[in-house]
Amino acid sequence: MKFTSSLGRMIALLLVAALLAACAPAATEAPVVEAPTEAVAAPTEAPATEVPPTEVPEPVDFTTWFEFDEKNEDPAADGRVGNEYLRNTIPQFNEAFAGKWNWVNQPKAYDKMETELVAAVQAGAEVPDIYEMLSDSVNAFAQNGTVQDLREWAEAQPWFADLDPSALKACTAPDGALLCIPMTQRPQAVYVWTDRYPNGFPKTPEDFLTQAEALKAEGKYAITFYGSTEKGGSGINRAMFTTLSSFGGGLDDGNGNMLLNTPENIAAIEFLREIVAKGYAPEAVFAGKFQEEEYFKDSSAGAFPTGLNGYLYLFPLTAPNGTPYDTNTSQDFLNALEAGDIYLSPFVSVEGVQPGCNTTATGLAIPVGAKNVEAAHDFISWVMTPEQNANYVVGPGGGLPALKTTQSDPRFQSTFYQQASETIGASACRPWYGSLLRPAEAKELVMNTIYKLIKEDPTADIAAELTKTQEEYNQGN
Amino acid sequence: MRKISLPSGRSRNNLLTHAILILICLITMVPIATTILISFKSQPDITRYPPVLFPCDTPEKTFDLSACRWSVEGYMRVLAPKPSDESPLGFILTGNLLRVYLPNTLLYATASALCVVILAGMSGYAFSRYRFRGRKALLTAILAITGVPLLTNLLALYQMAVNLRKSPLPFDDRIFLIVVYIGFFLPLSVWIAKGFFDAIPRELEEAAFIDGCSPIGALTRITMPLAMPGMSAIFLLTFVNVWNEFLAGYLLVSKNEYKPAMFGLYDFLGQNLINLQVIAAACILIAMPIVVLFLFTRRTFLKAMVEGAIKG
Amino acid sequence: MQHTKPPRKPLRFLRNSLPFWLILPTVIFLFVVQVYPALYTVWLSLQERQPSGWTFVGLKNFDRLFNMSIFGESAGHTIIFLVSHVILTMVGAFIIAFLLSRKIRFTGFYITVLFIPWIIAQIIVGLVFRLLVAPDYGLLAGLLQNPDLFPPNGLSVLTASRPLPWFGEFPFPPSPAMILLIIASTWRAIPFVTLLLLGAIEMVPGEVLESAMIDGASLWQSIRYIMIPLILPTIIVSILSLTLNAMNGVGLIFSLTDGGPGTSTNILSFTLYTIGWGQLQFGRAAALALIMAVINWILIAGILRNNSSEGETN
Repeated sequence: MKFTSSLGRMIALLLVAALLAACAPAATEAPVVEAPTEAVAAPTEAPATEVPPTEVPEPVDFTTWFEFDEKNEDPAADGRVGNEYLRNTIPQFNEAFAGKWNWVNQPKAYDKMETELVAAVQAGAEVPDIYEMLSDSVNAFAQNGTVQDLREWAEAQPWFADLDPSALKACTAPDGALLCIPMTQRPQAVYVWTDRYPNGFPKTPEDFLTQAEALKAEGKYAITFYGSTEKGGSGINRAMFTTLSSFGGGLDDGNGNMLLNTPENIAAIEFLREIVAKGYAPEAVFAGKFQEEEYFKDSSAGAFPTGLNGYLYLFPLTAPNGTPYDTNTSQDFLNALEAGDIYLSPFVSVEGVQPGCNTTATGLAIPVGAKNVEAAHDFISWVMTPEQNANYVVGPGGGLPALKTTQSDPRFQSTFYQQASETIGASACRPWYGSLLRPAEAKELVMNTIYKLIKEDPTADIAAELTKTQEEYNQGN
Repeated sequence: MRKISLPSGRSRNNLLTHAILILICLITMVPIATTILISFKSQPDITRYPPVLFPCDTPEKTFDLSACRWSVEGYMRVLAPKPSDESPLGFILTGNLLRVYLPNTLLYATASALCVVILAGMSGYAFSRYRFRGRKALLTAILAITGVPLLTNLLALYQMAVNLRKSPLPFDDRIFLIVVYIGFFLPLSVWIAKGFFDAIPRELEEAAFIDGCSPIGALTRITMPLAMPGMSAIFLLTFVNVWNEFLAGYLLVSKNEYKPAMFGLYDFLGQNLINLQVIAAACILIAMPIVVLFLFTRRTFLKAMVEGAIKG
Repeated sequence: MQHTKPPRKPLRFLRNSLPFWLILPTVIFLFVVQVYPALYTVWLSLQERQPSGWTFVGLKNFDRLFNMSIFGESAGHTIIFLVSHVILTMVGAFIIAFLLSRKIRFTGFYITVLFIPWIIAQIIVGLVFRLLVAPDYGLLAGLLQNPDLFPPNGLSVLTASRPLPWFGEFPFPPSPAMILLIIASTWRAIPFVTLLLLGAIEMVPGEVLESAMIDGASLWQSIRYIMIPLILPTIIVSILSLTLNAMNGVGLIFSLTDGGPGTSTNILSFTLYTIGWGQLQFGRAAALALIMAVINWILIAGILRNNSSEGETN
């Protein structure tokens, strides 16, 4: 029948289509004219690199990826502090660069933005000109070439000499490249309700367990922490690494290999096991969605190890004696601290080891493939003024400002910052990932293992499980 | 084709059947009812332990209807109404969900469903009316194509979108997403359409040919009107599928302004970790249009479901 | 069987090539959105991302995949999830379909109400169930977390550990969160299967059952030995398409458990997502996708085989 030839023709056409699809997927776009959508949007702005932007009368767009959304005015949204920061800062910047740059922010989910950026760079997709980067990504970005090395440019800038060396180190890749310009450092500290630990937070694990038992007898929890495996195992960069390092442990051997099966790590996991088994921490520490914070907020848990920026999300608060701190802003925590109801402390540690602490810097990075590098440079220099740096830190940044001048700003002389610097001074802070080059994979693997050991199977052989995990990771080296 | 009637005690049995069915209906509705309930609570009643079913307790009584603390806080937070002089209502709704995400979803669902109906109608007709070599193989291939997990199709499509965005061709995220949705939901629709055309007697068309109609004329004047119920069933099915789709809309659209409602919901989750009333309200606002649509079109809809389900 | 009658001459060319033109747009769309991505997946499964770009690594991705502890574990979870989900759904749907097939009034009403779960998005279904059991604040949390009802510490569904496995590494019995996941997915899938089975049951002549029961067979016997064999092809198709749908969906897990607590609700489709879009190991994700595609194709082939007896005759 004639249809046979139809089919032949069709197969030939399919082959052509396949070729087209493989070589230039663009060609297959033709049928979409059938789609009854609005007029095709004009292609995005011409790349600024071709035209010197100073000669352009209209301000040129420059895009950022922040985890916050200036358009979200919900006063109860989780990211309200950052949303407000952007709402205030974007007009300031646009005014400062009137006729030159126009700041366009694309809000991104904080736990997905890193992968989104890596995927975009790998695929050659449109990337932002500025990416709000956590120093946790430094090793991974160095490995997969996601962001630009800023060292040469940055060293020529006036603010460079003013940067805190430890903050600068956090943004430095193993090969010395400077992958982000730090804005703030967020080491970990323990937030403590004074009435639960009136004589100070315990110094040793043994002391902690004794006091925890006493609190349990009162029907209170000694501690709450982020113990969930969700969000790709981000419990690691919260309390888990702090605990491991307080026992002298860690995740790597310094040469890019994972090293978990050490007596120090085993002791730390036994300590966590006991906290969980004896019920010194609420069950909700494993619930995820930051539900563990609720137990600190109503002071039913006495202590909460978290980042120095953690207070931005802790409100309203109720002190053990019933005093409410309920302005429903991040001021609540600072008020409680000023009133002496809360203090900061280093974590417990074993003899001969400084209390451990994971530290993360937040900074600004310019992705590979950014179109408007000039604007990105202008932006960084504008943000790295003491005034703007302070605004960011008291806003969504939290932690310690990266500029030394900013550190002496009166806003950073409060009780909170005094206690913070004492705490950090007494702790040995370092980034959790050490020399590991695949932090995303490591985080998930290790968190799942720790979870299994402390919660799911408290009788499992710790050494054997840790060995299994490190071997699995190291296979990929 | 008679319905089954069991011989003895029919009325008592029927009563029992009704009782069981009503019970099943009630159980089915529990999760939905509780979501509605939660959406009308206020924050203090949400973060209370132990939780209460109705926010109607007083220090004295466990339930007092007059003391109920119903609240629309959740909906207010989702919709974010703001006073405005320009709006005739005196306020505008500024929440992203209603302002941005739901209109996007409506656009995607309508456009993809329309295209799917046209394409599936055309090829379903061809598969039903013509016998050609390779027909069965092609039909099977169309179904087999759906076996590749959607998640990895997205890898390639992501790369494709990136290449297209960089090419000189006019490119729009929204059109690309619609094309993707068409491709996702077309295979099943082709099978459904073929089934519907199979059910229309060919004799009608042949009579039209004899009366001098062209094949196209026969198609548009005789077959299409008869196929309308089937086509609207495909439209509805695709519409609902696109409405409910999450991953493609999330991963393939780069600009937030073009993202669909399911992404909006996800966004709410990130911003309202323990504000269960807000999450419940967002869920209800997104699911409501689809449920209402279903209630009004259930016959057509169910027909498409049966057709589609049997085929795959 | 039926052949097109020889058409009048001027229309012949048009008629001969018409099906080609009618099918062509569909094929183009499917090529772009389904076939090309599938081929890309095959290519990707043999590649690894190096700093210099994509590099051919042969079967290394498969090797690494099989060596990941999460792979074997989530395969086990997938089996538990699918088996329980399919059994529960089939039993529930059969009971409802059987009741609906009896000569009663309001069938339309019942079907409408019972069908609502199927049109609710997976991600919403996950949230709806999460709202019920969210630790501490979920509506049922007060009941479930009561230590008197569930000694010793009450049951917090989304954080409770799974019991120690009975058979070596195989994750059985499932964790409470997995049971919840199964309940939620069953809740959503029952209407779909009910509809399928109802269609098949209504085709069974009532007399057959009646005469069996007059002959002294019990209700159960007549269902077991007469009705079920008659609707067997539909049952098989239902089981296969249920499995297909459940195996590939992630929306529910996304919003209900996020794979947790621990890894206890991590099924293969979720692992595929985390390897691909979480850790950006696209090559390895593609390898896993191919494995899943093979399973999917087996299921689809099964569906086609069982349908060919009824559907493809004309």
